[in-house]
Amino acid sequence: MGENHITNAIRRLRFEHGEMTQQALAERIGVTRQTVNAIEQGKYSPSLEVAFRISSVFGLPLDAVFQYQPEAAKKAP
Amino acid sequence: MSFREKSDWLSFASLCLLAIYFFEIGRGVLTDSQPSGPYYYFKLFWWLIGVLIAIQVVTHSVLARRSPQDAQAPADERERLIHLRATPPAYFVLLVGAFMTIGTMHMGFSVWQFAHCILFVIWIAELLRYGMRLYYYRRAV
Repeated sequence: MGENHITNAIRRLRFEHGEMTQQALAERIGVTRQTVNAIEQGKYSPSLEVAFRISSVFGLPLDAVFQYQPEAAKKAP
Repeated sequence: MSFREKSDWLSFASLCLLAIYFFEIGRGVLTDSQPSGPYYYFKLFWWLIGVLIAIQVVTHSVLARRSPQDAQAPADERERLIHLRATPPAYFVLLVGAFMTIGTMHMGFSVWQFAHCILFVIWIAELLRYGMRLYYYRRAV
């Protein structure tokens, strides 16, 4: 698969929202816990719809949860 | 591990059982030995298929009982993507295998051997499909 240039703050946001578990977030956005884990680790870029669902769970705009960083991906080993 | 990944592991493992059949066929062809008893291959094949079905039904029932929510939930977008990505390599193998099997018609293969070539190709393609799914599940896509 190609390089993932999208980073996210889901892990931090989960803990800021009452230490929400991956399972709880997964149930609210309609995916499996494994998918939430893959998104958090940057191994999987979610669809726009799931990204919007995640940001609405945290009550934040999309760009507060996901960031597009092409330079960061280039510098990574 | 999600329900679908476990299910794919079980399907992959149970499909591996059919290796016994193809090993027996290969042994018979290579050593030019006669099978022990009439309908030996026929019985072995359907016995293995029966075992495969039994394993699938029992293990999936146990899995579904242990995590009913997971089992009933539809595949999410990542799982659907994994399934989509796993299919082309298997289809390619199936296609190449089908053409190679057609080639055996010019090598004097019997109908029985021809049928087994097709079965073998389908089996390899299915193994590859499940193998690729598991690969993508492990990579998280």
